Amino acid sequence: MLQDQSHIDSTSQPMETSAAGLVDRLTTSLPKIYRSYTVRVFLQAIITIWAVMSLTFVLVRLMPGNPVDVLIEQILTAEGISYQEAYDRVAASFNIDKDATELDQYFQWMGDLLRLDLGTSITSPGTKVIDEIARFLPWTVFAVGTGLLISFVLGIIAGMPMAYYRGSKLDHILSFFSSFSTGVPNYIWGLLIIIVPGIAWRWFDIGALRGTYDVGLTPGLNAAFILSALEHAALPVFTYVIAILGTWMLSMKSSTTGVLNEDYVNVAEARGLKERTVIRSYVGRNAALPLFTQLTISIGFVLSSGVVVEEIFVYWGIGHLLFQSITVRDYTSLQGVVLLLTAAIVFSNLFADLTYGLLDPRVRVSGEK
Amino acid sequence: MASSQMLEWLVSLPLDLLRGLVGFLRRLSANKPGFVGFLGLVAYFIVTFIMPNYVEFDNEPKLDQITGPIGSRIQLAVHRDNPHLDSWEALAGKTVGVVRQTGGPSFIEPYQDQFTVETYRWTSRRQGPGIPAALTDLANKEIDALLIFSKTVNQVIVNQEDEELQALFQDNIIISNPSLGPPHLLGTDTQGRDIASHMVHGGQILILTALIGGVIATLIALFFGSLSALAGGFIDKFFTALANLFLAIPQFILLVVLAGMIRFDSTLYLGVIIGLLIWPALLRAIRAQVLSLRERDFVEAARSLGLSVNHIIFREILPNMSSYVLINLIFSITIAMYFQIGLVVLGLAPISDYTWGVMIYFGRSRGTLYNQDGATMALAPVLAIALFQVCLVLFARAIEEIFDPRLRSAG
Repeated sequence: MLQDQSHIDSTSQPMETSAAGLVDRLTTSLPKIYRSYTVRVFLQAIITIWAVMSLTFVLVRLMPGNPVDVLIEQILTAEGISYQEAYDRVAASFNIDKDATELDQYFQWMGDLLRLDLGTSITSPGTKVIDEIARFLPWTVFAVGTGLLISFVLGIIAGMPMAYYRGSKLDHILSFFSSFSTGVPNYIWGLLIIIVPGIAWRWFDIGALRGTYDVGLTPGLNAAFILSALEHAALPVFTYVIAILGTWMLSMKSSTTGVLNEDYVNVAEARGLKERTVIRSYVGRNAALPLFTQLTISIGFVLSSGVVVEEIFVYWGIGHLLFQSITVRDYTSLQGVVLLLTAAIVFSNLFADLTYGLLDPRVRVSGEK
Repeated sequence: MASSQMLEWLVSLPLDLLRGLVGFLRRLSANKPGFVGFLGLVAYFIVTFIMPNYVEFDNEPKLDQITGPIGSRIQLAVHRDNPHLDSWEALAGKTVGVVRQTGGPSFIEPYQDQFTVETYRWTSRRQGPGIPAALTDLANKEIDALLIFSKTVNQVIVNQEDEELQALFQDNIIISNPSLGPPHLLGTDTQGRDIASHMVHGGQILILTALIGGVIATLIALFFGSLSALAGGFIDKFFTALANLFLAIPQFILLVVLAGMIRFDSTLYLGVIIGLLIWPALLRAIRAQVLSLRERDFVEAARSLGLSVNHIIFREILPNMSSYVLINLIFSITIAMYFQIGLVVLGLAPISDYTWGVMIYFGRSRGTLYNQDGATMALAPVLAIALFQVCLVLFARAIEEIFDPRLRSAG
């Protein structure tokens, strides 16, 4: 990998040669650049995102009904004006160039994307897609991210004793729990939490916990808002923790089991090190290492895994934006959301790939991969 | 493969399978959670595939039984002077009142010849006597007995606001005979229909859809995954790249977009779509498994013995992968379940078949989820789905432990 990086360095040096020489140097160095692992995974990531974006572009336009028709229909039945009049009015109120063909729209959109511009919403003109995303995204990142981190820590804590006392009652109970945790879909956990403690036992008022914070509070750094936001996020976060915990427990268990068989653990014990030191510094650290890669990868899925849970709890995150734009066929918003969700997955995979070797020196990333 | 070999194999196959099954069940019974999961799956099969033949789907709206709590049932109200009227036999020759649209009329239909039936409307807002009138008649001994829904008893007798009427009812009427009329085990829904019957009928399509999705995904992954691992080269690169591309798309989101695009005629088509979506992760797992098996000693041995490629694939590699494939199949079924019910709960999938998912959808959209009495309409399917998934996972884990543990490290 180090050797590969030297190739990139050599190409980034200033080259004061003639155009012909430049082309010559490029033709010899491009294959070398391509052979570099880092460059290659980056290229693959970009191509993947482009392919998914194009697919999304086509798919959303294949959905039956389009935003213009939906509104024209409404105006026609409500006001009884001519079709042309209704069409003109809708076209004016929507942010749509009615003469642009789909191919034009595609290149327009791709061009904007290169300038990191997601465009403006079709159905509510003047609203930038990026602003819409900025409005809903933080809530999703906050809730699912918190859930993911809490479950990760709890999973590591619970997974180690499972490996240490394999076959014991504790192991069986925790394994049984992990089957529940992994098997039951997260939104089913959410519904259970609403129905049993919420409705049947009246522990909390579900109706008051809708939304991301109490109406009437101004978002900002004030105690009332922060408390309210935490209160509203509590149930979704709890749902995510329960639903993800089992996976981390099992991963940590199998990882710890593997480490316990390693010679260096035996050696550490033979040297008479304190049991605590062995557990923490020798077993725990090495066992948790591969889990960090898993954590990096799952960060990418964070955004898309909670969409149903958000609907169940009426917690307005990115899922709400997604379903809203599907309902009114707001193509640009929908494309923006899918781009965001895809990019999150692709880049977290990329990040995991690249940091794999850094975190765990035993793993050498080869160009073969 | 020579024909004699083939014949031998065909004859020994059922025996081998039977022996394997017996051995498997014996080892499974030693694994407690796995055995529980297995029994659970058998129970699910009985409830969702066999019981629908014997339990009728309750599709008749009954206006006074709406969102009845667990155990609601039709009861027999009689006058305090006639406590002996507690069975169909005792009622012979008497006048029995029933209330329309409560399920009562169809309930007493078989016994109609034995006594005189007086029919009342369930509400007196329009013309004709309603339930209070029926109870007044009963208190005045104009009829001898009245079939009435237990929730109505609470509403009309216990919580009666008119003090005069309440005194009249409480002094003269006793509610007897819980033995008459089957209870609604799980209560009734927003239309007064029996939830238990919906539970029995609502699982079959859901499970079939998940099964279709899982099987399709597994078949695609098995075929192209092994092909990719065994052929290598361009084919391998192509399928790996394709799988990676699909893995980068948030699959549930793609399914949501597809669901908006395609009008499903039947829920089962949903299974096909899900199957076509979830194969990539499976393909990578199976490809890795075949790659590792290819390097194993016994395959090396078979190769050096000069055995044919067919022999190596079908007799050496595939049999050693069957448990691994089965585990992956079970896990894809749970994923298919997650996807389809998620869609239905959001209201994005067809709701023409009244499945557990549709029950949850209506439970949410009609608000019974937030009503203590009616919560079973959503709680029952939620628990059924949760336990089904848990049984699948427990069973898959047991298989994982029972079969060759070497297979685990390779995946």
